[in-house]
Amino acid sequence: MELLASIEGSEFASWLRESGSIWAYPAVLTLHTLGLGVLVGASTVIDLRLLGAAPHMPLEPLRRLFPIMWTGFWVNAISGVLLFITDATTKGTTMVFMAKLAIIAVAVIVLALIKRSVFGREPVASATPTTVKTLAAVSLALWLAALITGRYMAYV
Amino acid sequence: MGATLDAFATWLHATAVSDAIRSSPWLWPWCEITHFVGLSLLVGVVGFFDLRLLGLFRRVPLNAAWSLMPWGKLGFAMAAVTGVTFFIGAPEQYINNVAFYGKLTFLLIAGLNAIAFEFFYGAAVKASTAADATSPVYRAIAIVSIVSWFFVIYWGRMLPFIGNAF
Repeated sequence: MELLASIEGSEFASWLRESGSIWAYPAVLTLHTLGLGVLVGASTVIDLRLLGAAPHMPLEPLRRLFPIMWTGFWVNAISGVLLFITDATTKGTTMVFMAKLAIIAVAVIVLALIKRSVFGREPVASATPTTVKTLAAVSLALWLAALITGRYMAYV
Repeated sequence: MGATLDAFATWLHATAVSDAIRSSPWLWPWCEITHFVGLSLLVGVVGFFDLRLLGLFRRVPLNAAWSLMPWGKLGFAMAAVTGVTFFIGAPEQYINNVAFYGKLTFLLIAGLNAIAFEFFYGAAVKASTAADATSPVYRAIAIVSIVSWFFVIYWGRMLPFIGNAF
């Protein structure tokens, strides 16, 4: 708790929170929104394809969405840390925030599982196996849960 | 102009539907969630298609990339309906906010760009089964799309920070 308070009270966190500069909190929040759109959006494209939308779309080229998604992920990990330190005592003690982090951790693991099972050494046949479809559905549900808990952060 | 807009905002704010939007404790947060789900669908599907027009993912035929577009349109519809809900619920927050007009301007550019693309090239795209078709015009349209949606998000995010605060 003292640690969270000292993080929140640090000069940098105070600048982010209180400077009023468009390059402080607003810029970080914008990056967090863009990263979310890129990560969740690209993941959704793959999930929709695996669930049967756009059946004529070849899967293999979608492999190149992964570096784009990891970029979105890291933009949000970094901007997320910056948002956290501006309000560490509240966010660091909120169960919903812990739930959000856990949901994102599982969502990223599911994404890695999709990468391994769909874009691994043996390319999947055009007929998507049920396990892969399940992973895609779980992925969509987890991103939705991440968005819900994330939006909730504006109310704590 | 300003006075007319203020009068409109005052009138809209006083309507029963505006009051109903404000007085529900859960409607606004759920609209925000829906707005962000729509944003993700739009960025994912339209962004992917734009990258394809730029020449990435060349092994995906244009018609296959286009076949996801109903999901992108659904995302836009989700964001648009909830966005209009926000405006009806609290018009005074938007009507004098420069960020709101920034967002509307880029929405108009992105929208006209998308409509023009579908009108002039929709049939060609749906018939394009080749693996590596793109063109300078497609690239230009993709750049306008990416830049204008970026600024839609940027100005949307700036709504609480520039002009009158929420």
